[in-house]
Amino acid sequence: MAIPKADHALNALGDPTRRTIFERLAGGPLSVVHIADGLDVSRPAVSQHLKVLREARLINMTREGTRSIYRIDEEGVQVLRDYLDSFWSRSLKRFKQVAEQAERNKSTIHATHPKRSPR
Amino acid sequence: MQPIRKEVLVEASQETAFQVFTERMDLWWPKSHHVGKTPVVESVLEPGSKGRWFTRHEDGSEVNVGYVLVWEPFGRLVLVWQIDGNFHCNPRIHSEVEVIFSSEGPQMTRVKLEHRDLEQLMGGAKVIEDMDLGWGYILDLYVGVTNKTEAI
Repeated sequence: MAIPKADHALNALGDPTRRTIFERLAGGPLSVVHIADGLDVSRPAVSQHLKVLREARLINMTREGTRSIYRIDEEGVQVLRDYLDSFWSRSLKRFKQVAEQAERNKSTIHATHPKRSPR
Repeated sequence: MQPIRKEVLVEASQETAFQVFTERMDLWWPKSHHVGKTPVVESVLEPGSKGRWFTRHEDGSEVNVGYVLVWEPFGRLVLVWQIDGNFHCNPRIHSEVEVIFSSEGPQMTRVKLEHRDLEQLMGGAKVIEDMDLGWGYILDLYVGVTNKTEAI
């Protein structure tokens, strides 16, 4: 099941610095230098945060020459989105059933009393 | 992140579809046993713009989910989902659920739902102080919701 993976990802986002990093990468791929820019943490700390985010599969890394480029891991992020997706599928399925039943009830009432004939 | 988009064709009039979605939300909205301290007894969506959206619990408490942003009966509805990590209504979280009801016949309505601004629920919400704890609650909710619905 996908649940432990999602938990992992959510825990990774539990840290404010990691959330900031994640949000920066949501804007597009970045090198470590750009990720660390303006952050009030040491470079080794940034590397550690990146490692946690990678392990949670929220981001991934590719090498371009000597530089490491980080980007959002679409597949990992997808796990969280899947929760909501399945939630709405199931909810709307129930909604459809309830709405159709309500419509049938209305029709039944109309059929029983097609028109209120004036007395 | 891509919004979630869903579409369902309902054999009911546009009016019935809208009314069931809003006034009778309690009949179809999945109940979870993980929200708050006691089980949900009722889901309520108050009609009209700015109407409250909340769940009522066995102990009598009410937990806000969000509010009505756009109320255009019987064609369109936009809800704001504002649950923070501790399952309290947080006005700084703004994730929208838009629902369009298109009439395709006297007893046929196409319902399109879009849940957007998902980043807000994903960690984009800087205000959530205790994400570790908070997201656990929300995940419990989703898992609970899913299981409950499956059981039905």
